Parts: sequence; C-alpha cells; structure tokens
Amino acid sequence: MKDERQITAIQSAAILVSTIIGVGVLALPLFAVRAAESGAPLVTAVSVLLAFVGLAVISLLGMRFPKQSITQYSEDIIGKWLGRLGSALLIGYFAILSALTAREFGEVVITSVLTRTPLEVTVIVMLLLAALATRNSVTTFAYIHHFYFPLLLFPALLIVALSLKNADGLNLQPMWGNVSWTRPELWEGLLTITALFQGSFIMTLVIPAMRRPEKALTASAWGMLIAGGLYVTIVAATVGVFGSEEIKNLLWPTLELAKGTSLPANVLERLDAAFLAVWVTAVFTTLFSSYFFTIKEASKLFRLGDHKMFSFFLLPTVYVMAMLPRSILHMYEIIENVGRIGLILTIGYPMLLWMIALVRRKRGNR
Amino acid sequence: MMFAAQFAKTIKLLIVIGMVVPVLTGCWDRLEIEERAVVLGISVDLEKPGAAKEESDVSHLKGAFPVPNQRMLRVAVQIALPGRIPLGPGEGGGGKGGSEGTVWVIDVVGHTLDDALMNLQQQVSGRLFFGHLRVIVVSEALARHGLQNLNDYLRRNPEVRRMAWMMVSKGSALEVMRAAPELERVPSLYLMSTLDNAVRLGKFPVNYVGMFWSNTSKKGQEAFLPYVEIRKEQNIQVQGMAIFTYDKMVGSTLPFDIAAYMGIKGLNPAGYRGFVPIGNNPSRTVTIYATSRKSMIKASIRNGKPYFKVSIFTEISMEEKISEQFSINSSDILKEIEDTNRKALKKACENLIEKTQKAHSDIFGFGEYVRAKLPNYWNKKVITKGAWQEMYPNVDVEVTVNTRMRRVGMKAK
Repeated sequence: MKDERQITAIQSAAILVSTIIGVGVLALPLFAVRAAESGAPLVTAVSVLLAFVGLAVISLLGMRFPKQSITQYSEDIIGKWLGRLGSALLIGYFAILSALTAREFGEVVITSVLTRTPLEVTVIVMLLLAALATRNSVTTFAYIHHFYFPLLLFPALLIVALSLKNADGLNLQPMWGNVSWTRPELWEGLLTITALFQGSFIMTLVIPAMRRPEKALTASAWGMLIAGGLYVTIVAATVGVFGSEEIKNLLWPTLELAKGTSLPANVLERLDAAFLAVWVTAVFTTLFSSYFFTIKEASKLFRLGDHKMFSFFLLPTVYVMAMLPRSILHMYEIIENVGRIGLILTIGYPMLLWMIALVRRKRGNR
Repeated sequence: MMFAAQFAKTIKLLIVIGMVVPVLTGCWDRLEIEERAVVLGISVDLEKPGAAKEESDVSHLKGAFPVPNQRMLRVAVQIALPGRIPLGPGEGGGGKGGSEGTVWVIDVVGHTLDDALMNLQQQVSGRLFFGHLRVIVVSEALARHGLQNLNDYLRRNPEVRRMAWMMVSKGSALEVMRAAPELERVPSLYLMSTLDNAVRLGKFPVNYVGMFWSNTSKKGQEAFLPYVEIRKEQNIQVQGMAIFTYDKMVGSTLPFDIAAYMGIKGLNPAGYRGFVPIGNNPSRTVTIYATSRKSMIKASIRNGKPYFKVSIFTEISMEEKISEQFSINSSDILKEIEDTNRKALKKACENLIEKTQKAHSDIFGFGEYVRAKLPNYWNKKVITKGAWQEMYPNVDVEVTVNTRMRRVGMKAK
C-alpha cells in the first residue's frame, strides 16, 4: 500500500499517550502506595523512566529498521525460528493483556456503576467495540487515537487540578516514603507500575507507518513525558488528598478522588460520573491498541496481507481468557504477576534484539 | 454488481448494529426514581442484646448469628418521599412540622449495619439507595464502642459519597433523626446545612466523612467528629468535637475548644468570640472576634523526644464592651487587649493540647509532622500508629501567640 506512510510525529505521540492511559489508572495510586507510602509519586516517576528505557529501545530498533515491525526484523536479527518464537510469545502476551484489560474494565463497571449488568455483557461489548475498530488500517488507527487524545488528557488534568484544593502537602512528605528502598515490595510495586506503561510497545507497529521514522524517538519521549507526567500528577494528587494510609484501604483511589471532587459553584457535586465517561474512552483506546497489535502482528507472522480476518477470529479466545480469573482479587494478582513477567518480553527482549543487531551490524534498508 | 455488493455491506452493518444495540442500553440497572427509596440520613444507636427479639429472621436465623459479642444496633433511616420534597422555596407552603410530610423515618434493629439494613429492606418496597446520603448520626455509646463495622460498610458501598457528614450525638441518635426542625423542610438537609454553615461561619473545621476516614488511617494523627446535641426547639447544637483513637471515641471537647483547635491548625474563617478583661479587671471586659488566623507548626527533636513549636497569628476586631466606664480610643489600649488575648488564647490552646494528650488522641496531627519532616526519627522510634499514641502524651508543645487588633467597629470610643 502506497499511502500507508502518513502518521506524523504528533500523531504517534498521541497514540502513545492514549494507549498508555488506560484501565490501570484507577488502581495506580494503590500500587504506588503499597510500594513506598508517601514516596508513591517518586516510585511512579522512577517507573516512568524505566518504561521509557524500554520504549527508547523499541524506537531505536524501529529507526534502524524503518520499514519493518518487530515480527519482521526479529527474524533478520536472531534468525527465522527464534524470531518467530519471540513474536509468537509477544502476540500471545498482548492477547492476554487485551483480555485482562477488558476484564478489569468489566470488574470496575460491575462494582461501581452497573451493579446488576452481567459481567459478560460489559466485557463482550468492550471487546466487540475494539474488534470492530481494528478492522481499519494503521492510518485510521492513528486518527482514532489522535481524536480521543485531548478528550482523555484535559478532563483528567481538570479533575486533578480541582482535587488539589483538598490536598495536604504533609501527606507527600517525606518524598521517599517512610520505608526502606531495598525491601522487595518496593521493587515489585515499581515493576507493576512499569508494566502499566507496556502499551507503549505499540510504537513498533507505528514506526513503519510514520512519515518520518527518524522522529520516532522524539515522539516516544513526548508521549512518555505526557502520559508519565499525568500518572505522576494523579498519584501525587491522590496521595495528597487522602494520605498514603487511607489509600491502602481503597481499591480504586483515583475513582474515589473523582468522587470527592466537585466542580466549583455547585455545577457538579461529584465528578465520578464524568471521570468514568473519560475513563471508558481511555480503556477503549488501550484495548484498541493492544488488540490491534495482536492481530496486526499475527497477520505479519503468518505472512498474511490483511489483518481483518483475525479481528473476529481471535475474539472468542480473548473473551475466554478474560473470563478466567475467579474473582476480582484473583484478577489483580494475575495482572500484577503477568505484568511483571511481561516486562521480560516488552523491555528485555527488544533490548536483547538491539544489542545483537548492534553486534551483528544488522540494519534495515531505508 | 457494484450495487449488490454495497447493498450486502449495508445489510451486514445493520445486522451488527442491531445485535449491539440491545446490549448497549444498560437495561439491567434501570431503576425508576419512584422504585428507589432514597436514603438521606442514617442514625445508628447501640442497643441492648435483648433487642434481638424484635428482629425477624431475614438475613440469618434466630440465635445463629456468628458474632462473639452480643451488641445490637438500632438503625434508623430517613427516606425521601418522591414528589413531596419541594423543589423551590415557593412550593409547598410548609405548615407545622413540615418534615413529617417530606421524609419517612423507619427504625430497625440488627447485629451489624448491613444486617439492620437488610431487615429494613424487607419492610420497604423500594430499593434502598444511598447515593444521596448526606448525614450519618452515631450515638455516643456506639462511637465509644467503636465504628469499625460502620466505616467498613460505608467505605465498601459504591453509592456512598465521601462528602457526607458523620456526627456523634450526645444521647440517642434516633432522636436526632426524628427531629423535625422548622427551618428546612427536609430534616437531613437541615442537619447538613447546620454543619455546612458552621464551617462557613468558622464555627467548625470542614470534616466530611472522607476526611474522618483519612485521619483515622493516618499514622501520626487521630480523627474527630462533630459532637452534637438536640435542643428544645428540635434544633441541633454543635457541642464540641468528639475525639477518637483509632475508630473509638475517647472523649469530647467543649465548643470553645473548637476555636483553639482551629487556631492551632490556622484554619479560616475564624468564627468564635472571646472575652478579654483588660488588665485582668473584669469590669473592663470587651468581646473580640478573630478575622483571620495563620499558624505554623515546627517539629524538632529535643532530649530524644519530639518537640513542637506552634506559632499562631490572629487578627482580631472588637465587637462589644460591657460598660461605659472606660473608653477604647487609643492604640495603646488596643495593645493591652492584644496582650490579654494573646495570653488567653495561649492558655486555651495549651489546655486543649493537654486534654488530647490525656486521651492519647493527637487530633492535630503533630505525629504527621514527625513522620513527614523527621522521617529518620519516626522510622527508628515510632513507626506505628499505636506507638505514636503512646508517645503523644509525653511530647512537649510550645505555643506562641501573636495578635494584632485592627478594627473596633463603628463607635469612636
């Protein structure tokens, strides 16, 4: 296809931001506070840096092979079969990630808003929506993200800004928390939060469609800065308002923050409904990206010209996986563990590829 | 051919949309307003174990409740009657005891809050809806017994908002729920506006249930709630603060102590009046009120113990003078008033701090200053909430007050 190189650097940054901001934002302050109490914003910031390292490697690889995505260049770098194995693992991992996103979405909705709607329905609706949307080209994919990007960012910033009037700076001190930075919980939490940024892996798929792939690293930096900045701000606001000990009692502190925040002059007494509307969009864009990655890369792995066939073909598998966790707590255990293990795939594996590519002087044709 | 393909595509799309639409409507959670029982207020009292006889077997069989202690709760709810609540000031026309017409107060007993509410649901047709819950009244006896169960249920319920007010009533909480003040047609809203206006007038620090929960959780701070009493005109008086350790009430303060509390925390607006006898001569007394306050709390370590320096600055104005024997006409006399007020406020603050120290309840959050500003000390010597409660009575707090008297009203002498 000739016209597939249309995505601008700004659009790729928008894709990154709206992909990263997703279902995890609700539980994020809880993960961060469990790791480091009042040091939660700092832990989040460190996680952003860690996630950026992974994203930078992806961008550098993409700039080295500007016409290919990871499924294709991995075969060049480490050989056909090893590369295929790696790609298959990645595809499977993103299918699991999509399933968990849909399930977490369903759990939030059934607990807080639509308590009597069956979980199956919310999950299926979300998956159907994502599956329908993935039947488009990469360019349309970029347009959809670009369209939703401001709708996600500005309401979220507004809620954070409004909630700050209830915040107490004392809750954010000491900055590194009253915990030792060598304890295992802290490292687990750090990795769990880093795992929330894994959606940024979508960059590998965006670069071959970018008009100027050499700008990929800049776009990645901006995307990570905006999404990471928002995450750190949300954590800081939540900890500032509730204090770290209270957050340990809340399953979704960010939702509670929206619940306790009101628009000035009695326009809206609680913002959780508005927040949930934004959040549903955020979940959709995240799910859209991870599902798009799954089917697009699967079609490349099987050397298919068109990815549309997979969009509904994979749906039942993803749905069944989404239904596997037995309870909400079981689901979060799975999300945390799977996310941490997945970092090997989304940060470790590209890093390995990059180093081998450097050593073997492999380079894609421009 | 082209046309047929286009047509088939349209049909396919229509089928997909047709399949999706019924799922998107969210009909499972449809709840018409007249089908829900909107709970505006809840009161919870402690009951004698004998009250179990009154209970019917709704959520458990008689005698089969697996609770070690035999305490019972009496829960009353105020349910808004749809259509009866006037929307504007012009509507309705009021009449005596107007509240009887707008809400419905029902009380039940139960072993836990949920148990009681389920017993209640059994008698009420509409689904109990807590999205508009504004006021939670707890009797002093229950507060002293502990609020764990209550806090757990309310935190868990997604409908309850953190902006509701929770208060402790002197005596029966049910009576507060049954009270029908004349001013507002919805009693719960009257209760709520009593407290909201107290905040606006500077009579009480803002303290929604969410803030109460946060303060309960904090390691270096204890929570407090408004302590209210019902007066003879069915009105509610804020009687001070009910102070807690963990979730158990351990004492109460006088209304005037609230002023000292707000002074120490530097909270505005300032709403309390103070009597100042100039030069300790009771016949030369003036009433002053504070217009704004600032405070700074500094924590340090002295002799291996935390040491706090509280500096309070208040701006005051004069409101009345008790006799014509003396006149207020020079800035020197204002200086004298400042001086006396400084001593009086310092004394009030020190008294309140001492009172809370005796109760092991650090409602000011001095411990949070240690945790935040002196983390090395905290991590070595304190660490837990319990340890801070033990340490709090032994710490030294030095209060310094600075006052400026600015205005004297419209009278020249």
